[in-house]
Amino acid sequence: METTSDIPVSFAPAAESNMNAQHFAPIYEKPKPVTKADRIQTVDMVRGFALLGILMMNIPIFGIDRSVYKIVLEGSKANADYTTMAVVYTFFDGTMRGLFSMLFGAGMVLFTLGKKESLTGGPTVAEYYYRRLLWLVAFGLVNAYVFLWEGDILFYYGLCGMLLFPFRAAKPKWLILIGLVLLSIGTFKQLSWWGETRETRATYKEAIAAEKAKKPLTEKQQEAKAQWEQMEKSQKPDPERTARNISKMQGGYGTVFGHLKSHNANNETWGMYHGLYDMIGMMFIGMGLFYLGFFSNKLSTGTYSLTLLIGYGVGIPVGWIFFSKGFADTNFTAYIDQWRVPHWALYDIRRLLLSIGHASVLMLIYRSKVVPWLMKALSNVGQMAFTNYLMQSLLMTFFFFGYGLGYYNSLRFHQLYYVVGSVWIFQLIFSSIWLRYFRFGPFEWLWRSLTYWRAQPMRIAQK
Amino acid sequence: MQSELEDLVPGSAAADLAAPTHSSPKTPARIQSLDVLRGIAVLGGLGVSIWLFGGFTANQKLQLLQVHKGYNYGMFSTISLLLEGKMLSLICLVFGAGAVLYMQKKQEGKLQPADLFIRRQLWLLAFGLLNALLFLWSGDILFHLAILGILIFPFTRMRARGLVIAGFIAALFFTGKIYWQHADHQSIYAKYVAVLNAEKKIKKDSALRAKEAPKKDAAIAGNAKPALSKDTTKAAIAAIKKDTLTAKQVREKQAWEGLVKSTKYDPKADEGTFKNMRKEKFGEVYDHVLPSIQQKEAQWTYNTGIWDMSSLMLIGMAMFKFGFFNRRWKTSSYLVLSIVGIGLGLALAWVRLYLHQQEILDFEKYIQRYPIPHNLLVPFEKILMVLGYASLVLLLLNTAIFRTVFSAFAAVGKLALSNYLFQSIACLLIFTGYGMGYFGRLEQYQLYLVVFEIWIIQIVFSVFWLKVFTYGPAEWLWRCLVYARWMPIRESKAFATIEHNPAIL
Repeated sequence: METTSDIPVSFAPAAESNMNAQHFAPIYEKPKPVTKADRIQTVDMVRGFALLGILMMNIPIFGIDRSVYKIVLEGSKANADYTTMAVVYTFFDGTMRGLFSMLFGAGMVLFTLGKKESLTGGPTVAEYYYRRLLWLVAFGLVNAYVFLWEGDILFYYGLCGMLLFPFRAAKPKWLILIGLVLLSIGTFKQLSWWGETRETRATYKEAIAAEKAKKPLTEKQQEAKAQWEQMEKSQKPDPERTARNISKMQGGYGTVFGHLKSHNANNETWGMYHGLYDMIGMMFIGMGLFYLGFFSNKLSTGTYSLTLLIGYGVGIPVGWIFFSKGFADTNFTAYIDQWRVPHWALYDIRRLLLSIGHASVLMLIYRSKVVPWLMKALSNVGQMAFTNYLMQSLLMTFFFFGYGLGYYNSLRFHQLYYVVGSVWIFQLIFSSIWLRYFRFGPFEWLWRSLTYWRAQPMRIAQK
Repeated sequence: MQSELEDLVPGSAAADLAAPTHSSPKTPARIQSLDVLRGIAVLGGLGVSIWLFGGFTANQKLQLLQVHKGYNYGMFSTISLLLEGKMLSLICLVFGAGAVLYMQKKQEGKLQPADLFIRRQLWLLAFGLLNALLFLWSGDILFHLAILGILIFPFTRMRARGLVIAGFIAALFFTGKIYWQHADHQSIYAKYVAVLNAEKKIKKDSALRAKEAPKKDAAIAGNAKPALSKDTTKAAIAAIKKDTLTAKQVREKQAWEGLVKSTKYDPKADEGTFKNMRKEKFGEVYDHVLPSIQQKEAQWTYNTGIWDMSSLMLIGMAMFKFGFFNRRWKTSSYLVLSIVGIGLGLALAWVRLYLHQQEILDFEKYIQRYPIPHNLLVPFEKILMVLGYASLVLLLLNTAIFRTVFSAFAAVGKLALSNYLFQSIACLLIFTGYGMGYFGRLEQYQLYLVVFEIWIIQIVFSVFWLKVFTYGPAEWLWRCLVYARWMPIRESKAFATIEHNPAIL
């Protein structure tokens, strides 16, 4: 395939042509960053949506102690806090991360297959790809340990991305299948944990019965008893822990750092080891969907309507069951006795469907040209997703933590979403203004410059 | 762990034999040196991993360090000085060198070297999981080599000097982490001392109060005021509160006491491990080993492995680019590096062992006395020793006396993956209850009889296997998986001569 560099290449083929790697035959030239003309607006738009949406899921971790959940869920259902929580966890939980992961997969295809190989023996596209990801891991560490955002995802995305490379040119159906298998592994791991916990619970009950009958406990029973009591305790509200957490989060930078250090290390260790399926599964599905043209506005309106119908039509009821029966049930002991399979088993299928539903809605709005200015603003946010993501960490930690304004745990649950709304408005405006003068966001510029190891041009030449 | 030989020749060897790149052979010893070193590392590594395989636990290590004499101690300290940690580092050194070599391959068909490289790493990851979860080897390092291999991939093009710097930065991170832990222990101790002082003060105060109490009672009786005023009640409550340690103080005291306990030999501590490892059902042993496997794969990698292993890999890459493994250096340079490396490395190792002993003998005194921990310089001990060992091997590589020995090691090194996996299988069958159940039943010297047996088997097996086949069984499987098609396990005679002239530079 012959392509001249000044023609914007559409990397996303139509669904029926099933375009693959051979269409990206290497054309020898030095690899360089994607130029503005090459960008696909709808991909940026969905990414912008996900980026703004992710703050909805993150703000409780930034702003409140987790004991609030129990209080809200056990309180009146007519409460604004309860309603907010129901909406957020029925419609959005996990879906923004899901979309973000999918678009990361799509971006991976764009990056690796859209570039031309060096003819002069310089670094290959693969090398740039891995440099880029290694820098992303480094940014993730900064986000977690310097900006003190314990919910950072950049670290994980960097590492997961490294596993995608050999699959970049696979057929979409395989990519989607692998993605589904990976998600199922994650679900399976959860289910087997659940099974073990139920077994512990059963043995614990046996032990209690034996104790009542004044029979000596077997070693297994003793173990299970201790284990279960420990678990039950960890599910109960612990005022001392809450008080300690709040006072630490209200402290100075050093105090907060010390408090979150072990959280960060734990997340990055065990979250990566046990939880990577959550991200990498969606990345694979995203690669597949991208090849099918889903994110690049290549499908027919009928198809998008159908995906919307299935995504929301199945996803919302499942999401509601997930929230009302599973998430909202705060009585762990009764819950474990009642459910052989927990509602978490629905988590991934629910968020996959809802993610696809969200993206379909966006595509349809984009096509209908109802609010073109908003769609443009969203794609601006998406084009600067990396900057905006890090900016959310900086803004939120400054707003909530003790070394900033110190609003930690002082807003009610629904009030958190006023903050979210303000940040959205700010980021929509900021991104649009910034991109009028610059080619990419400040952190994107830094990331690119580090990847290509030379300062990239930043300003747009003004006419 | 890879035999880069195997990948010099793609599926259809004949076409490539004619390729001009193969007609300018460089030093044949280059490749052999990597194989020899890899072989040494795989065999030597067993000398250390037998501790974990055979049930010589950390707890027993404490006992030996407390006693510090006798055969068992002699054996233990020798291994600790010469091999512990160093064999893993040697594998990393060779792995780094191999990565650079691999990336100098020419493109074959649709698959770029980068593709092949990453695929190799991912399959190695799968081998690592197999080794850990199926052969129940919680000390597996294939998993880590695979991940680290991917992380160092972007560095393959870096210049040698940059790689050395990167390697040292990684080592410094490792050192920093070790130091942090020690600093943590010191602050735990400082808090403990503060709590002790508070306790003393409480005792003194309450004794004083006890003395004063009768006087007060008398005064109260004298004034005939039976009810205490509100203020006095408050004061009394405050005094009682002061009399006991706060919850925080209790925690701080317990933290130190727990730490001290962890340095003491506990004769009962291993009973559970022994019992579980000797259980006869595979599933039972699996359940017991799984947490340690996950610990090693996740936590060890994150905390230690990434710095420990990458430092040597990066230095290995640099050394390859310096021509170290090609024997391009002057003989005197190899001589100097081997003397300095082993000499200084051993000195550091000896100091480490000595300080470690002090730590075990009296932990409190050790924390008071030494501002730095015993293992602070382990990263540099490893670098020095490993470079020293490698230089020594390169120095002696072509001497007549050692030629036979080294060619045997090279055979083991060419089958490194197969041999490494074989060790896990053999030890699974010897030590766990699923096999013969010798776990924790052997003395130090007996463990080394097992090591010796396995060495003999592996050397003989490797030499004879290579007389018939070109690739080891696991290496062949690995190749098939990477190329996603059946590959020959034997290459033609013509290949065999090329094999020693793999002009890749």
